[in-house]
Amino acid sequence: MKLSEIIKHVQGKVLNPDVLIDYEIIGGCGADLMSDVLAVVKPGAVLLTGLCNVQVVRTAQMADVRAIVFLRGKQPTREMIDLATQENIPLISSRKGMFELCGRLYCAGLHSFETNMNGTHE
Amino acid sequence: MSNTIQEEFGRKGRPITDVDAQEITRIEELSYDLRIFEVMSREVFSLSSKQTMRDVIDLLRIRRISGAPVVDDGELVGVISTEDLMRALTQNDLESPIRKYMAVNVITVKSYEPVVKALETFTRTNIGRLPVTNENDELVGMITKGDITRGVLVAIRKDYKEEEIRRYRVRHLFEDITSDRTSLTLRYKIKPRDFVNGGQASSHIKRAMLRLGATAQLARQCGIAVYEAEMNLIIHTTNGGILRVQIEPHRILMQTTDDGPGIPDVNKALQPGWSTAPQEARSMGFGAGMGLVNIKSCVDKMEIFSGAGKGTRLMMEIHLRPNEKFMASTEGTQKPGI
Amino acid sequence: MTLQEIIAKLNLTVLTTPRDFSTVTPQGGYASDLLSCVMAGAQPDNVWVTLQAHMNVVAVAALREVAAVIITENAQPEPDVIAKANDQNVTLLSTSAPSYEVVGRLWEMGIR
Repeated sequence: MKLSEIIKHVQGKVLNPDVLIDYEIIGGCGADLMSDVLAVVKPGAVLLTGLCNVQVVRTAQMADVRAIVFLRGKQPTREMIDLATQENIPLISSRKGMFELCGRLYCAGLHSFETNMNGTHE
Repeated sequence: MSNTIQEEFGRKGRPITDVDAQEITRIEELSYDLRIFEVMSREVFSLSSKQTMRDVIDLLRIRRISGAPVVDDGELVGVISTEDLMRALTQNDLESPIRKYMAVNVITVKSYEPVVKALETFTRTNIGRLPVTNENDELVGMITKGDITRGVLVAIRKDYKEEEIRRYRVRHLFEDITSDRTSLTLRYKIKPRDFVNGGQASSHIKRAMLRLGATAQLARQCGIAVYEAEMNLIIHTTNGGILRVQIEPHRILMQTTDDGPGIPDVNKALQPGWSTAPQEARSMGFGAGMGLVNIKSCVDKMEIFSGAGKGTRLMMEIHLRPNEKFMASTEGTQKPGI
Repeated sequence: MTLQEIIAKLNLTVLTTPRDFSTVTPQGGYASDLLSCVMAGAQPDNVWVTLQAHMNVVAVAALREVAAVIITENAQPEPDVIAKANDQNVTLLSTSAPSYEVVGRLWEMGIR
């Protein structure tokens, strides 16, 4: 799914239009714990998170997350936006919550991009 | 995956990417860096004001130019262009001296001025070619927009070549150095409780790995491992610690050391979900007791040396598989003749 | 949609003492790993999806009176957490699937 479609589905606003590269997003990951993201996310996913601090951007950079959606209208700081811009990571802000956005994206065909912990996928 | 980004953009008309933006910035920079004398044409076809308008026709036709400076005794006295020629033609006055038709208020640029000055003058005056003079107001060349474009392109190509050479050198770093054992060490000092800058060292490490030619997967594994280790130093240590990465042709060694407070029960710390992290760390999304578990899954070997009241040493090691050996190992691939 | 149907469809493991889940009808869902957000945002009778498995989850779930907690990614609560949940009438369910997928499937089933 193209990032532009994801932005539509989450009714999001792009916070650093400078890096609005229309990435192909290959899956979704919803989590608030960064260690969890580091543990399970596969490269090329969009990260939906209710957490909003500079470590989210760092985590995305380390784990090759393509784009970040901040939930419930959370506004990243200028510092975070600059860092993300430097690392080519689009930041998107949405007023919706985790449950609704995971639901909408999943139903729109964007599948989970987290490793299933027992190693099997249904 | 359906289409690549390039294909998608090829169809729809392409928005400006960061790469473009970078290049545009570079062109802007160059228009200030480059001096007019670096891009102007030095071959100037000038006429004297005593020559006739017929001479103008010959010069413009032969040289395929649309205007020329008029110089008397080394001094620039005017310019003559096709427009002036048209006037002479309509009056059937080709035998008159150039003096009669030339423009005398000559707009010039100085050879030592930056290229951007010429661009501004082009835009302001709508003139397509400008005479260039030196400090002594002597005519030394002509400049057109085409000259500027060419000059900028040459400069960019030079930039690009230099970058290529730099990349090549970095990637083949180890090939050119002969020793029994070569390694590159990156060392970072990590401050305690510095949550805002947390991850900066890891970010530098990941970027360095990619620059050295590591695969995306290898850079990611190392990045995640050192990031968790870096956050551990920030969250738990009394005085911070040192993060050190040693890159060798056959392996990556990563290590953190600190001077306390130490881990009383290392086995417990290795259990998923076990954590002593304070609220501050949890609110940053860390401290959920998954750090060491994550590290373990990213590296081939992990060891912790610690104890209550002692410092902690965390060792992480990744063995490089043959296809991951990124700094063109010298081991076993001795070049002939050495 | 009853909790019983959800458990069956998502193939969830019931960690706490089973009760009659066919009489429980969750109203909507909430997903977050940040307890403070759940405290602020989860509604009574929501299904709460999280990968957290520690004691405070039970406290928050009881406080917000959620219909059930689905713990994802095979995170295993300690026995004392499960005991506390039984004590507080909190239903803990578990799955190996990640939160994103669990929420997606709940949404697909009409839990919104």
